[in-house]
Amino acid sequence: MSVSYIPVQWNGFKHRYNLALALAVGLYLWIFVELGPALLGHANPITPQIHNARAFGSCAFLMMSVILMIGPLARLDVRFLPLLYNRRHFGVMTALVALSHFLFVFNWYFVFTPFPSWEALLFSNTAYDRALGFPFEAFGIFALLALLILAATSHDFWLSFLTPRIWKSLHYLIYPAYAAVVAHVTLGAAQGVRGLAFPVLVWSLALVVAGLHLAAWRKERRAAAAAGEWVPVCRPEEIEEGRARVVRLSGGERAAVFRHEGRFSAISNACAHQNGPLGEGRIVDGCVTCPWHGFQYRVEDGCSPAPFTEKVPTYRLRLRSGTIELDARANPPGTPVQPLEAPR
Amino acid sequence: MRARDEFFIGFFPIPPGLRPFLAAIAVALILLFAAAGWFAASTQAAPEEAGFRFDFGRQEVTGVLSLHPYPVIRVTEGSERLAAGRTVMLSGGGKFAPPQAAALDGRLVKAGGVILRRGDLDMLQIGGGDANLAAAEGEAPALSPPERLGRWRLEGEICDGKCAAGAMRPGRDLSHKACANLCITGGVPAVFVSAAPVEGAEFLLMAGPEGGPLPPEALAFTAAYVSVEGEIERVGDLLVFRIDPATLRAL
Repeated sequence: MSVSYIPVQWNGFKHRYNLALALAVGLYLWIFVELGPALLGHANPITPQIHNARAFGSCAFLMMSVILMIGPLARLDVRFLPLLYNRRHFGVMTALVALSHFLFVFNWYFVFTPFPSWEALLFSNTAYDRALGFPFEAFGIFALLALLILAATSHDFWLSFLTPRIWKSLHYLIYPAYAAVVAHVTLGAAQGVRGLAFPVLVWSLALVVAGLHLAAWRKERRAAAAAGEWVPVCRPEEIEEGRARVVRLSGGERAAVFRHEGRFSAISNACAHQNGPLGEGRIVDGCVTCPWHGFQYRVEDGCSPAPFTEKVPTYRLRLRSGTIELDARANPPGTPVQPLEAPR
Repeated sequence: MRARDEFFIGFFPIPPGLRPFLAAIAVALILLFAAAGWFAASTQAAPEEAGFRFDFGRQEVTGVLSLHPYPVIRVTEGSERLAAGRTVMLSGGGKFAPPQAAALDGRLVKAGGVILRRGDLDMLQIGGGDANLAAAEGEAPALSPPERLGRWRLEGEICDGKCAAGAMRPGRDLSHKACANLCITGGVPAVFVSAAPVEGAEFLLMAGPEGGPLPPEALAFTAAYVSVEGEIERVGDLLVFRIDPATLRAL
């Protein structure tokens, strides 16, 4: 959380996160570029520019796959939540690796021609009417543009400037971009390798990504869904101290009912920062703390403590027949609500 | 407290119970990337033996230049590596035909450059300027007329002759398609890499139905495995495949 924008907020965890990431990416590229050809012993080595393009391209695909695994893994097992905390640095690094791949390709295949290079890139292959020979570069261009847009708008300034709703919608571009990369690789690089190992690797990663999202989605669907003005949540004793129970409302929103010092309060489940799941967070120092980036809100009124200014909607609660019920009509963000006393 | 109960907040120190798990994840991530790097590198097919033969030194030959369908020289006075009687495809630097060739069609010329070789496919990359391609003294001698070998249906791949000869490794396959199209459009000879030898040759110079360059619609079929019918004729020691574009089929 911050009351002013600075280029990058660093802390020890982010340093260690980025170090591990840089080591992983560096090792991948070093093995692919330097060690692989030496150990494989090709009598006629692949042209270095092409080999580099393949190394950076395949690395970017792996990075995108891992990035997309983090979200659902964190929903399935909260121990993965710290990986989500610095995911935007992961994304920016992926965009840079993908850009390197593009530059190797562009400055090799599309130069030294009678045509301007950009024109050559866009019009040298127009066989859009067939699968074999389809201009797979188009998928790559789309994915790269998407990655660059996401990297450029990853800073919280853009989140505030665009509003969380638009920012979040924009950043869902990662999914069509990933699908485009799978198509790009399948119709391009995978056609020029030995055997099926590389295509199998690509599709295995894509299926793991899809499978994890499906599993996380199934888990989310298990959250209680309810309709009506007052909707049942659960019995008071079912909520642990400092934790929440999430309830799905008929409009698609989610509310999180927290227990704090024996009393119950409800706020929106969506963090004002990046729509993080507040109901999966904890109460720390009297504030609901988002599990994604640590944004905090007072449980009684949904306001961030001063000097911060974020607010989320609140909900009224009541107890009926030993069950907590929630008024599905959300209060405006930051509206104070008297906590519900726990039954004695 | 169990690790699952630990609550991570980025701006606070990592909860002690989570540290072993996060350390394990970091090590696993690094090992995953290392293993994936090795695996992906090991799937890269070894390119065939092809490339620039700088070890042969500069080759200088005399012969008759023809620009149809693409630049070739029918050698009358050979060099150490390109004997008289050969018909050798020519390219310029990059994805161009030799620019000096435009004014020399049908004339006796001296040509100098470096050989690209892959199997029985030879291409001479002509250097820049008149020192590397210019009219030679004397009239172009009469050459044997093309020998017609009839109509054939071949299966194989349409490539640009320069990359296929090793200017790029690999210089074939679908991932190279855009480059092949740029080379062919730039005037580099188009070559058919036949799945089965034709009269002992694996590589045939390609031409359109009237003997000119490949028609634009053929570019949709480059770099893929295709079948196509056409007339084959022998020009010197080089087979020329005049395709019927209507018979192109992706296989």
